[in-house]
Amino acid sequence: MNQKKAKSGRIEPYLYIVPSFILFAVFLFYPFFKTIYLSLYKTNKMGEAKLFVGLQNYIDLFQSSSFYNSLAVTLIFVVIVVTVSMLLGLITAVLCNRTFPGIRAFSTAYALPMAIASSSAAMIFQIMLHPTIGIINKLFGTDINWLNDPNTALICVAILTAWLNSGINFLYFSAGLSSIDETIYERASVDGANGVQKFFNLTLPGLSPIMFYTLVVNIIQAFQAFGQVKILTEGGPNDTTNLIVYSIYRDAFFNYRFGSAAAQSVILFLIVMVITLIMFRLEKRGVKY
Amino acid sequence: MRKKLISLTMAASMLIMALAGCGNGTQSISQQTGNAGSSSEEESDSESNTIEMADASEVSGTTISFWHSMGGVNGEAINTLVEKFNSENEYGITVDAQYQGEYDDAINKLKSAQIGNMGADLVQIYEIGTRFMMESGWIVPMQECVDQDEYDVSQIEPNLAAYYTIDNTLYSMPFNSSTPLMYYNKDMFEKAGITEIPDSLEEIAEIGQDLLDKGGAGEVISLGVYGWFFEQFIGKQGLNYANNGNGRDDLATAVEFDTNGAAKNLLEQWKNLSDLGFAPNVGRGGDAGLADFSSGKSAITLGSTASLKQILQDVNGKFEVGTAYFPKVKESDEGGVSIGGASLWALNNNDPKKLRATWEFVKFLISPESQAYWNAETGYFPVTVEAHEEEVFKQNIEQYPQFQTAIDQLHDSSPEYVGALLSVFPEARATVESEIENMLNGKKSVDEAVTDMAQSINKSIEEYNLLNME
Repeated sequence: MNQKKAKSGRIEPYLYIVPSFILFAVFLFYPFFKTIYLSLYKTNKMGEAKLFVGLQNYIDLFQSSSFYNSLAVTLIFVVIVVTVSMLLGLITAVLCNRTFPGIRAFSTAYALPMAIASSSAAMIFQIMLHPTIGIINKLFGTDINWLNDPNTALICVAILTAWLNSGINFLYFSAGLSSIDETIYERASVDGANGVQKFFNLTLPGLSPIMFYTLVVNIIQAFQAFGQVKILTEGGPNDTTNLIVYSIYRDAFFNYRFGSAAAQSVILFLIVMVITLIMFRLEKRGVKY
Repeated sequence: MRKKLISLTMAASMLIMALAGCGNGTQSISQQTGNAGSSSEEESDSESNTIEMADASEVSGTTISFWHSMGGVNGEAINTLVEKFNSENEYGITVDAQYQGEYDDAINKLKSAQIGNMGADLVQIYEIGTRFMMESGWIVPMQECVDQDEYDVSQIEPNLAAYYTIDNTLYSMPFNSSTPLMYYNKDMFEKAGITEIPDSLEEIAEIGQDLLDKGGAGEVISLGVYGWFFEQFIGKQGLNYANNGNGRDDLATAVEFDTNGAAKNLLEQWKNLSDLGFAPNVGRGGDAGLADFSSGKSAITLGSTASLKQILQDVNGKFEVGTAYFPKVKESDEGGVSIGGASLWALNNNDPKKLRATWEFVKFLISPESQAYWNAETGYFPVTVEAHEEEVFKQNIEQYPQFQTAIDQLHDSSPEYVGALLSVFPEARATVESEIENMLNGKKSVDEAVTDMAQSINKSIEEYNLLNME
């Protein structure tokens, strides 16, 4: 009797995860293994695996300067996007952490980018950044061809992405701030701490768990930026905005080289995985729960 | 312990998100690969068997679906035409028109749909997808309908039909066709005292300084980095883009623009204009140069005939817009322009009734009346010559006399400059554009840019032919 119970107890937990496992299998595991499979083949125009080439797709990638360029561009992009969007989110959240008249209007404005589709935001930026009729050049009296100059194109796309991501960061940080106990600030005031000291010694450490989560999410999100690039620059000029996700799209749905696209996907996956693992190693030191 | 658990769950969710990101692109691929083998081979055999159309009297109650890529104003015009056909046709045919996104998206959707034979009966495909559609084995060449119905093809504008005619077979019906034009600011030309409108890049370089100094232009020419223009400049030199008769006698196996000098001639002139400061890099794509022109900054721009209405609306009478033929590269060149745009392809669904219904709808779309309306609304060429007699057309040309230039240019251009067919055209265009950018930004010399273009496109052609032609 006892034994029987123990046995069913061993199977039962697995039954609970079957539904979610099926979902994962269909939408995640199957495509994932299919991607790995495709990355070993050259495909015809229909995307059918036609010719087994082993690791040739990977070898080709690591010999192509445009792939290294994509990697470098993506890294620069991620650094800019993550830094700017976290700073924006943090500053706006701290500003909105007090109650004052009109706070709702402000917090709505700061959270709003969350609700804007990246493509529509990109269309608006495209007009704003237009060298002749754009408002940016008019305001600053400059004559810069923002999106077609290899020196500025990437920065423009990155700033747009950072602004878009800042909305959700604002929300995360606001939630994090409200969970910090008010009384510790009072005690600090009694001890004579000024605002700056309070920010660095109380607010930041208090935010560290949420900060860590936001950082990881932001990094992954930044790696996957796509709509902005497609609309604003299509990877140009000189491939300076050819982010790896865009290059995958281009290879798969434009050049019909699904094999090479799949190989890039696998490499992107490995990069994101390694970064995530490293971050969780570091987390143990930096984050105080 | 609990904290460790939290962080572990987080780690897991992160990884899954990353996975999902990679997975996105592949889902549709795996769908395609899943059952692709079954249909494509068989269908290419059945292509040679002629499909009989049902008689027009038998099609009552047939519904056909029509996939198109016309958004905005053009989409409204198409919907008006479809509604008109649905309410007025005497055969009882219903057309279900579906907007399938831009040209690239539509052709990708078609690929996935055709594997399960769930595509449409009639699709609109861009001109550079012609070779792909021909080889797909999914289609009924328009010629078969034309022959069975004894339709008089001579009504169709010969230079439009020529593009889609391969081996004397009309594969698809030209529908929205355009050619590129040169637009210029008449006021600036007058101020600069230039009476003779330049007809080559060489001449534009000569008058450029006058336009800047006397004409008050901010830049001489806003020349978008656009693969289509590159192809046109090659056609205007009377030279071939690809081998095997521009890919029309037989499948192209390599480009020819590097060995016949066409690309070098062009890029040298382009670089010269850029070095003189006359043609700054305004970005990629056919529309990239239009804003500078409409806002009165540049004196000249190149654009599609279909942009005429937009340009006139944007300029809104600020200055007078002149139109001229698309420029040659050098004054001594002899050649012509080819068309761009899209055509209508009948898909083979092994249903004689649907095929008849499709054909009746196509006939309606290319009727003089529909075409005059289509032309007036969109600025694309009327497909049928008789549309020129329609009142709507005459009114339109009165209102926009500049359009006459487009028609003259089309008629003046010999069908031998009909343009290339290439299976990897979308990729080739992108390659050409990025190499031109490299040249304009000073990263590569003209020769390097030409060699790299040719090398990269040839490699794609070779790989494509290896994988898709056996």
